Amino acid sequence: MLSESIIQRLTATPLFAVALTLAAYLIAMAVLKRIGSPPWLPAILLATLTLTGALALSGINYTTYQDGAKWLTVLLGPATVALGMPLYQQLPRIRQLWRPLAICLPVSASLAVVYALGIAWLMGASHEVINSLAAKSVTAPIAMGITRQLGGNVSLLLGALLVTGVAAIMFVSLVARLMGITDERLIGFALGVNGHALGTVRAFEIGSTAGAFASLGMSLTGIFTALLLPLAWRLVG
Amino acid sequence: MPALNGFLWLLVCWLAGELIVHFTGMPISSGVIGMLILCAALALRGGVPDSLAAAAQPLIALLAMLIMPGVTGVFFMIDQLAGQWAAIMTGLIVGTLLSVITTLWLLKRLMQDDHAE
Repeated sequence: MLSESIIQRLTATPLFAVALTLAAYLIAMAVLKRIGSPPWLPAILLATLTLTGALALSGINYTTYQDGAKWLTVLLGPATVALGMPLYQQLPRIRQLWRPLAICLPVSASLAVVYALGIAWLMGASHEVINSLAAKSVTAPIAMGITRQLGGNVSLLLGALLVTGVAAIMFVSLVARLMGITDERLIGFALGVNGHALGTVRAFEIGSTAGAFASLGMSLTGIFTALLLPLAWRLVG
Repeated sequence: MPALNGFLWLLVCWLAGELIVHFTGMPISSGVIGMLILCAALALRGGVPDSLAAAAQPLIALLAMLIMPGVTGVFFMIDQLAGQWAAIMTGLIVGTLLSVITTLWLLKRLMQDDHAE
């Protein structure tokens, strides 16, 4: 625990929060490099645990940290726009397989929402929790925008993204094995649609075709959900 | 610094998204609209300029770091959500299993049909 006066001095500018974030991120990356990046431990999970530990030990409260970290999070806007570049690079693949994708994507992306929310609702989750989980299969920068539109809690959403991503990585390899699927395009697409960025990183480890189809699935799921989920919410609510 | 040039383009697309959201009242985040504007602009131009790639690539690579402050918040909500964790975790894990099965099964069938024709 740091003394109150030191905390006040350090958190007077956003630089402390930025430094803390950078340090936690780089430490997590170095550790992962050492232990060989196991698929059940995404970089973001380890980095966040490191950061949470540092905040808890130093006694800085989360709101103070979050204020300073806005300096970093404001970059999420242009970073989301930047995803338009890989999307453009995927366009030829969309043309090549547009028919199966045009049917599969809306069904999968909608059912992903329906399944998770249906189960959580049946088990008595509150309205705010439901709003926060709705975008759980969408890549983080897009999902954060959707969640603000729906009135959910962004931190809970991001936690849900982590759980979903890790679960999708495990289930895709398991289910593909059980169904006898070896086509990298299918496995990649399923990883991107269900496991957003975490699934896409995993797909690139399988191969570049799987990776390309995962980023395609991830972008299309993001766009589809961002365009339709808030509208669907208005109709239902 | 060509990256600055590219970064300005990203900001312009994002701001254009903000204006569109403001004037149409569409319930969509301005980042997504900016992304679609950028993609359409690249398609019209027929290629990715180096300056844009120089700004977009590092930003995409750093996405994980940019969401860290938000993710950290969930660890400070553990008490606040007491009693709902079972519903949240079951929804996410079982829901993801079901949607993975749906995606793989459906796509396998659709691609077989497409090849059969």
